[in-house]
Amino acid sequence: MQEQELPGIGYRYDLEVDGGRVSIVIHHSGRRDVYISEDGRKRPTVVALTDDQARRLGAVLAGAYFRPAVSERIEALVGGLVIDWMTVRADSPGTGRSIADLAVRRETGMTIVAISRGDEVIVTPEPSEVLAAGDRLVVVGKPDDLGRFTALVVG
Amino acid sequence: MLAASGAEVGRELIALGGALVVAGFLARAGRRVGLPTIPLFMLAGILAGPHTPGPVLIRDPADLGVLATVGLVLLLFHLGLEFSFDDLVAGGGRLLAAGGAYLVINLSLGLLLGLGLAWGGREALIIAGIVGISSSAIVTKLLVELRRLANPETRLLLGIVVVEDVFLAVYLAFLQPALGGTAAGLDAIVAVTRAVAFLGIMMAVARWGRRLVGRLLHTADDELLTVCFVGVAVLVAGVAAALGVSEAIGAFLAGQVLAGTSVAERVARLVLPLRDLLAATFFFAFGLMVDPDQLFDLIGPVAVAVVLTVLGNGAAGVVAARLHGFGRTEAANIGLTVLARGEFSLVLASLAVAAGLDGRLGPFTAAYVLVLAIGGPLAASRADSLSRLLPGRLLSKGPRSP
Repeated sequence: MQEQELPGIGYRYDLEVDGGRVSIVIHHSGRRDVYISEDGRKRPTVVALTDDQARRLGAVLAGAYFRPAVSERIEALVGGLVIDWMTVRADSPGTGRSIADLAVRRETGMTIVAISRGDEVIVTPEPSEVLAAGDRLVVVGKPDDLGRFTALVVG
Repeated sequence: MLAASGAEVGRELIALGGALVVAGFLARAGRRVGLPTIPLFMLAGILAGPHTPGPVLIRDPADLGVLATVGLVLLLFHLGLEFSFDDLVAGGGRLLAAGGAYLVINLSLGLLLGLGLAWGGREALIIAGIVGISSSAIVTKLLVELRRLANPETRLLLGIVVVEDVFLAVYLAFLQPALGGTAAGLDAIVAVTRAVAFLGIMMAVARWGRRLVGRLLHTADDELLTVCFVGVAVLVAGVAAALGVSEAIGAFLAGQVLAGTSVAERVARLVLPLRDLLAATFFFAFGLMVDPDQLFDLIGPVAVAVVLTVLGNGAAGVVAARLHGFGRTEAANIGLTVLARGEFSLVLASLAVAAGLDGRLGPFTAAYVLVLAIGGPLAASRADSLSRLLPGRLLSKGPRSP
């Protein structure tokens, strides 16, 4: 993407795409203009977005709202708390070990609140529960602790 | 003011409120058909003033005196705040060449016109600036509204406006000593020295003192920041005026000093509503001075000025487009967009009138700005068809990437 300053207005970002160009103008006021110029057409199509609209559109474009099926993990933040879904693989460090054995809560501060295993759903699993390859774990905790959990259990 | 009687206070408030209501509604009507606000605020002043039939809101422009002057101060303060030398450097040599060509062509035409009118040497100097410098406010708004921000020539066009802004700052700095005029010899030297010393100090503060200024002004509270930065802008402008350097350049430099500080972004946001309100008052007050009878007497000079400006801007557009390998459409877009005249022409004229120059400069500039602030945007929106008037052989066929 090419960046250009527009003195007195803001910044412009150009992205060349097949059959034309998309330009985003970010005004100092926070307003965003999206210009879509098609090759061979004189006037571009222009949409003006407020800061808030632009952020929402940006999140959709970035895939944060709807994740394609290939995505392994779904993450959500609720009031400083992170809820995450992840799948245990055959080669994950946690495979074949119990939650107590892994000392998940002490080591990482995260809690496994549910396990989805085949057709079965285990809500608030016992510490003795042994993790198996293919288990879908639902975990809750602070965003900072998520990395350590992933490293310990899923790898 | 506090001791004024109720009737007096009522009269003053009705005058100011009425002025803003008339100006606001006229500008809103204009907005519907795509006209910029500046000429309409001024037109409201002409209509509500003592020289036209109908109700007279304000008999004496001096009633709006301080408010209008603060409007001028905030206009220039905001310009200084937004202006950055990096913008100029980033554009590179070709941009400077395009901007320089614009200034040389249009200032020379303005100076020739001024000398031709024979209102006096100092008047000619002022007319050069009035005719030679585009309205940043109208140009910027126009590009947004005509949806030309993604056009290839837009960066260049805004670059030309930045070069004009720099020139305006330098021009303002040396104008006031020149306007002081009658003083010759030693007095003139003292005046110029004072101007240079003031500029030097302010630029040194902008260069090395911004940390300190930022720390002095820093407060998390918007209310306190607003009071402080408006105070600084008006104070520096006042000191500049007292030193005979003109309040306009003082305000510009105050903006430049703040531009480098940590509070710059917040100041830029907070100053906008104040600037809009008081600049409208300034344009309105300018209109009050204008007697339409004088406008009719000046139709000839104004028409010549408009024709010269159109030719000069067209030529500058072609030069800029050639330097950057653009075609006819781009040349027309550039030339017709920078054609708009507005706040700076009015600022220069009001400084000139205040300095006691030929009184015809007021109505001359009012009419000139009315024509080009309204005609410029109309022409710019029809740049596609008007581009056919440009001689095609001067330019390449289509746009080439800059």
